[in-house]
Amino acid sequence: MSTGPSASLIPTTGSYRGFSDLKLVVRQVGFEQLTFWLNPIGAIFTIVFSLVFLVLLGSTAGNTTISFYGNIKAIQYYVPGFVAYGIMASCFNVLAITLVNRREMGLLKRIRLSPVPTWVLLAAIFLNSMIIAVMQMVLLLAVGRFGYGVHGPDNIPAFLLAVLVGMLAFTAMGVAISTLVPNQDAAGPVVSITFFILVALSGLWFAIPPGSVLAQIADYFPIRHLILSIFAPFNTEPGTSPWAWHDLEVIAIWGVVSAVVALRRWEWAPRRTK
Amino acid sequence: MPAVAVRNLAKSYGNKQAVRDVSFEVQKGDVFALLGPNGAGKTTIIEILEGFRERSSGHIETLGVDPADRSTQRWLRSHTGVVLQELAVEPFYSVRQVLSRNAGYYESPRPIDEVIELVGLTEKADARIKNLSGGQQRRLDVGLGIIGNPALLFLDEPTTGLDPSGRRATWDLIRQLSADGTTVMLTTHYMDEVEALADQVAVLANAEIVATGTPSSIGGRDLGAVTIRFTLPDATSPSDLPLEVQSLDGRQVEIHTEDELQVLHTLTGWALARGATLPGLSVQRVTLEDIYLKLTREDG
Repeated sequence: MSTGPSASLIPTTGSYRGFSDLKLVVRQVGFEQLTFWLNPIGAIFTIVFSLVFLVLLGSTAGNTTISFYGNIKAIQYYVPGFVAYGIMASCFNVLAITLVNRREMGLLKRIRLSPVPTWVLLAAIFLNSMIIAVMQMVLLLAVGRFGYGVHGPDNIPAFLLAVLVGMLAFTAMGVAISTLVPNQDAAGPVVSITFFILVALSGLWFAIPPGSVLAQIADYFPIRHLILSIFAPFNTEPGTSPWAWHDLEVIAIWGVVSAVVALRRWEWAPRRTK
Repeated sequence: MPAVAVRNLAKSYGNKQAVRDVSFEVQKGDVFALLGPNGAGKTTIIEILEGFRERSSGHIETLGVDPADRSTQRWLRSHTGVVLQELAVEPFYSVRQVLSRNAGYYESPRPIDEVIELVGLTEKADARIKNLSGGQQRRLDVGLGIIGNPALLFLDEPTTGLDPSGRRATWDLIRQLSADGTTVMLTTHYMDEVEALADQVAVLANAEIVATGTPSSIGGRDLGAVTIRFTLPDATSPSDLPLEVQSLDGRQVEIHTEDELQVLHTLTGWALARGATLPGLSVQRVTLEDIYLKLTREDG
């Protein structure tokens, strides 16, 4: 039983405890994964959703060609496209809804009142989203390769950079939009509808010709840029670069702005109790 | 050194003063009840003491440290437990899983099985939280509050939603924690809970403390009039009584007095001399609820 304060026992050097805190992150990620898989319907839906669409599109339109990308097969575009979708779904859509639900249920407040440092809690939540995105990515690449013979990515560093920038930026966007959603009831509609409209406009279901009006509109948003930056290492057409620097730049700007919004508006307590 | 010391605490949100010049102390091992109507500032004070919310001004020590001081915040949180006003548990975990997870946040947690037993969930240890009743979930919430073996426990309406046996079990647990040296800060709307548990009480109204004391003395409760009630013995009328009757309802007699000893002596002497009884004789001091309503109404 603790007996209360004792000046010699009270640490005064901040809250970081080095390796023991890193172990705490690993432990907390484990519990985040447990939380994810303890709701198997939600988990499977999250993981399999992109796969089902890839198979549907691959089976119906996979063999058509895309003229403005050097007549490559559409499936060669869809696989990286759905890898991008998996990142966005996990790090933005699912994360934002999860954060709103946890905030409004009081779970964020409770955990904030525990001795676990804030950065450990948030790192675990973010890493969990990234792990889910990676699971989807591995499945999509496997189905793409063994189901449809999709090669690539040919430039692994460019692919990994795009994936990493995408994960970080969309995580920031997910946190930011969660701070704009006022309650649990609004979380699903606000986040998902926004997300799916932007995904549709950004050329996931069908490739958008560069320079078209739709492309010009979609270029203001980060989704098309993520699709293109992940597609670039798959595109082996002569004269193309696997490094989509401009796209990565736009994604990074969205990420930074979102991080600022998230930091300024973040709350641990349910808003309904205010 | 008290477990909690608050001096001239103030908190405002924009132009709204949520807490105004609040001062009190909570001694180690005591159960301290903070009472007040909804919106009086109870939760704000508790959240400031927990280090969850920042104060506008005033001096505070929780377990000897300033809860707003980030350098000692982690230490403070490892020595405090919190039961929030509303349920806050993940629905898909089992009771054991969520307690096990939270136990890992503390340096010296209580054994998980001990906590499960203390909150009466042994039979439900492996049940999913979503399948527990509201009362069982509330008890689990209390279990999460004590898993870290806290020196100071904040209980924000811990028995709301519990059935009578669940309430009594929670009271027993709070008594046991207090007896073991845990300081408890309690907010509740149940006055019987305060009478059963609290060593000290503070009543808040309109952001200020309007009274402090023990449950039996707060607001002059121990000094005020008592009500003596009984039924008139057979074949007697009010005029036969040796005292002036201040209230009469059929054959039910009520006497309000500040000198209950003398009144009872006179009454019982009169009855014994006549060989009569005083059916339903009771002596009731003004209730804590009466005092609470008076204090909060006057202020409002």
